[in-house]
Amino acid sequence: MNKSTSRVTRFLAGGVALAVGLTMSGCASGGSGGSDRPENEIHVAVYGDSGNTVEQQLVDTFNKTSDVKIVLDTIPGADYQQKLQTIIGTSNAPDIFFNWGGGSISDFVESDLLLPLDDFITEDPGLKDNFLPSVFNTAVIDGKSYGIPMRGTQPVMLFNNKQVLADNGITAPATWDELLEAVEKLKAAGITPIALGGADQWTTLMWFEYVYDRVAGPELFEKALAGDPKVWESAASKKALGMLKDLIDAGAFGTNYDSVKFTDGGSPTLLRTGKAGFELMGSWEYATQQDVDPTFAETNLGYTEFPAIEGGTGDAKNLVGNTNNFYSVLKATRYPDTARDFLKLMYSDEFVEAQLGIGNLPTTTNTPEFFQDAASPDYAAYQFGLVEAAPSFQLSWDQAYPPSAITPIHQAVAQFFSGQIDEAGFIQAMQALK
Amino acid sequence: MTTLAPRRRSTNRGGPSVGRPGAVWALPATLFFGLFALVPLVMVVVLSFTQWSGIGSPRFVGLENWTDLASDPVMMKSLWLSVLLVVLGVVTQTPLSILLGVWAAGHQKNRAVLSAIYFVPLLLSAAAISVLWRALLDPNFGIPGQLPWLFGDGNLLGNQAGAIAVLTFVGMWQFTPFHTLIYQGAARAIPQVLYQAAQIDGASTVRQFFSITLPQLKNSVITSMILMVVGGLTTFDTVLILTNGGPGTDTTITAFYMYQQAFRSFDFGTGSAIAVVLVVVATAISLLVVRLSGYDKMQSEQEGI
Repeated sequence: MNKSTSRVTRFLAGGVALAVGLTMSGCASGGSGGSDRPENEIHVAVYGDSGNTVEQQLVDTFNKTSDVKIVLDTIPGADYQQKLQTIIGTSNAPDIFFNWGGGSISDFVESDLLLPLDDFITEDPGLKDNFLPSVFNTAVIDGKSYGIPMRGTQPVMLFNNKQVLADNGITAPATWDELLEAVEKLKAAGITPIALGGADQWTTLMWFEYVYDRVAGPELFEKALAGDPKVWESAASKKALGMLKDLIDAGAFGTNYDSVKFTDGGSPTLLRTGKAGFELMGSWEYATQQDVDPTFAETNLGYTEFPAIEGGTGDAKNLVGNTNNFYSVLKATRYPDTARDFLKLMYSDEFVEAQLGIGNLPTTTNTPEFFQDAASPDYAAYQFGLVEAAPSFQLSWDQAYPPSAITPIHQAVAQFFSGQIDEAGFIQAMQALK
Repeated sequence: MTTLAPRRRSTNRGGPSVGRPGAVWALPATLFFGLFALVPLVMVVVLSFTQWSGIGSPRFVGLENWTDLASDPVMMKSLWLSVLLVVLGVVTQTPLSILLGVWAAGHQKNRAVLSAIYFVPLLLSAAAISVLWRALLDPNFGIPGQLPWLFGDGNLLGNQAGAIAVLTFVGMWQFTPFHTLIYQGAARAIPQVLYQAAQIDGASTVRQFFSITLPQLKNSVITSMILMVVGGLTTFDTVLILTNGGPGTDTTITAFYMYQQAFRSFDFGTGSAIAVVLVVVATAISLLVVRLSGYDKMQSEQEGI
């Protein structure tokens, strides 16, 4: 055997050996879609977590009276979106599936995979009227409704450690200037003013979402999302970035937030142990603190709306966050009527009671009737008040955009906070989003 | 497998039923290899010329992914970062594992117990190791929080140098035991007679190490280095969990970038193109190491004994 062939053999062998590891996961293609869907059953796919008990309960209730049975498939939480993306175009796709509205389903709508629910709503207006509009609109794409809210709402709020604030003579800030004052006081006392799990990146994004909303109103982001990149260079956009920069430079987040995470308990622990005064976080902060220290959550964990910004055009009552989760229906489903009847359960009393019982806050109009069933009634009532009064409830940017934009958005906000890119760099990064 | 064919023809001319096994014996392995290695590789090459989000059918876009990639600053940076991490890995792990391996090959009293403890990282999954170190290096509640004179504000993962140092260190902690094992075995195989002769000549322990042990370990060094290079280029779990490619894109190595494009952005076309680049680069580097080291002409180190 001559030398050159042995080299080729070796090259192939080496390359191929490597390729095994690299590509095994890269080839997930499914069977062809079609009408070979199962008979007399429909599948409902949900994000697998502790909330599944309620979903199962509702499925059981439904199956008692229905000929077509519902099968609940819980998909283990991590990478839910990836798994969904893989099966949605195949004949194994679920008839009804959990999602976050907005960008999480816009690709599916574009591929004509989802059933617009407007006909259902015409037959039963309750499918729309029984939900808070600011939430329901998250799953409206190009004027058509594609999702029914099916879990709890999770607005982002400014949490604080009441003890730390009291010790330093601070009242919960209602305006941006008061927040800056509080930052100075806490810094002088040697406390990190605001806990930030910057390594998670989406935590940093929340600051952009609120400051942009307060300064420029929700319209700026809506325009950007609709495909007008010019808004990122507007005076309002630059003002928002300038205010964020001032906050960072004032030392509001300390210096090591890039190495801190929320998801491993880092930043909530800073807040709980009094090493930090504030944390901007989704409503799940309460449950996170409660898991570790119920007494702290009940007595010392303060929560307020994001401060108002003087001179901004955004309403101080506006919210950002996860508006809710949604059930969407596959166009190819064999039993659309069954799907419709199942969706009607999402505003039933049983649904509301069960969700409140596990600490979720449903967004149906009848929710307030059941606050006494909530895990923490005051907290539930407070949040519901915010959501009900909010003129606009903006879905988190990384969920409003399709998944391809998530990484660039996260990188841009993290790089802006760590000083790797400046105002111009951030604007450029946001304008490059597709 | 392929090298067997010509030799068989020359030696077994007498009858096919005698001697070395025929090609049929290689069939199961070949089939397995083709199905799980060649087919996916070809599919990835094909995918690299398409645009595909995982929904519907891939759409052919010609060279678009490739031209985009060629002008993508993150891609170039990721290749350099991958090479940097590999070089740092080889430089830190090789000396350490040679020393430990040679030591562990001896017959000292506590050797077995200490070696056993030392090999523990080898039993842990990369994900577990990353989570462990993530917690240990937490700036507020980990080791840096306790030693501010050494770590400052503990913002290890907030700058490029710190993040790369952490990845190199964790890689070292994770993989040194494995390479130690290679060197331990190789050092055990060195004939005692060499050391006995050296002792008669009055050579010191250090002299023995450099004149006998190291030269005898040459082939093991190359083996271990190739494993480090190929393993290092495909490092992924530690980056995902420890730095998430950050700060910014400062630790976005090629393998992680591939994951980001394919499974976070659902751009399987670009992800596949990156995978192909990675296959080619890693193969080229491995071949280079083999060629430069003369591994392909490898001869026994024990000739004449």
